[in-house]
Amino acid sequence: MSERRPYLRPQPRTWWAHPPYRAYTIRELCGVALAVYGAILLAGLVCLARGPAAFESYRAFLASPLSLALHLLLLAAALWHMVTWFRILPKTMPKLVWHGKLVPQALMTQAATLLAVGCSVALLALVVVVGAWS
Amino acid sequence: MPDTTAKTTIELRILRYCPSTDTEPAFGSFQVPYSDDMSVLQALQEIKATLDGSLAFRWSCRMAVCGSCGMMINGEPKLACNTFLRDLAPGPVTVEPLQNFPIERDLVVTVGDFVKKIESIYPYVMPKVPKTVEEGTYLQTPSQMEAYASFADCINCMLCYAACPQYGANPDFIGPGAMALLQRYSSDSRDGGQQARLDQIRGEDGVWSCTAVGICSEVCPKQVDPANAVNQNKSNSALDFFLSGLRKESVT
Repeated sequence: MSERRPYLRPQPRTWWAHPPYRAYTIRELCGVALAVYGAILLAGLVCLARGPAAFESYRAFLASPLSLALHLLLLAAALWHMVTWFRILPKTMPKLVWHGKLVPQALMTQAATLLAVGCSVALLALVVVVGAWS
Repeated sequence: MPDTTAKTTIELRILRYCPSTDTEPAFGSFQVPYSDDMSVLQALQEIKATLDGSLAFRWSCRMAVCGSCGMMINGEPKLACNTFLRDLAPGPVTVEPLQNFPIERDLVVTVGDFVKKIESIYPYVMPKVPKTVEEGTYLQTPSQMEAYASFADCINCMLCYAACPQYGANPDFIGPGAMALLQRYSSDSRDGGQQARLDQIRGEDGVWSCTAVGICSEVCPKQVDPANAVNQNKSNSALDFFLSGLRKESVT
């Protein structure tokens, strides 16, 4: 007679809040922060379309301490999102073989991070130059 | 030289479950004498030999090759044979069956579902153009082999499944281990079975349950990197979706 009676332990509902999954959860929540920042930019566009008064009140909101604190928080989240996504970038790419040897994943992460930092610096420089010129 | 023969004891808290008598699993505690060179597997063998002969667990090679002795040790999926008590001292050490799998008895879990998943992805080379023996062997350069070699190191230990929260949430998800094996064959230059395998992994229960948690690769005892296999096949599956219309036209 078979005595099989497999017992499946339920997955804890709060698995995402505990190590080792917590870092993953924070990475994904930083994506929500990016969406919030996108919504703030979109609100600016809507205010611009509504006229000068609406855009001035939008600018006043941007200059408020609450807005500055929020933007600092969003910047930190965006930077963390970038760092962690480039960490898992090699997991999403095909294996790169160079002269018969696999390219190390750490090298892919470093190259992508450098490229992102380079682009950000170039964009910042462009904004400064255009701002000074106009 | 440290004295590896000096014995002291360590407590092992083992999740026990006997299907004929228990309604649910419960922890049992054992004090085991151990030395510096002793693995968790050896501790379990010691318990079975001297303290409780009814303790059930799987093992075979004792050298991280067969993949039989995967279990949760202090909450992490590990091979009991290459996890050493000296790294867990002074204890207690918690030993549980692999997470996300039904428990058959004590530390033994059901593997049938995993085996079916492995079988479903055609785990063998399907030659593009079959050759006869007279035509010779299928040749491959070292670079071509490098493209899949790491995926061929999988020992089917299922630690990646125990670590994957998405497999825990959806047991129908094909999971990291089967995807590593799929990638081993689909990225083999001699293989022509890519389309047949892609047909097995589209949809929610295929590759798309993965949310790139990445823990599967961290717990892998053979550095197979199943997260890489899964995510490469997300790209392949998406491309296949967009090209499927063209392919049907070219066939008819």
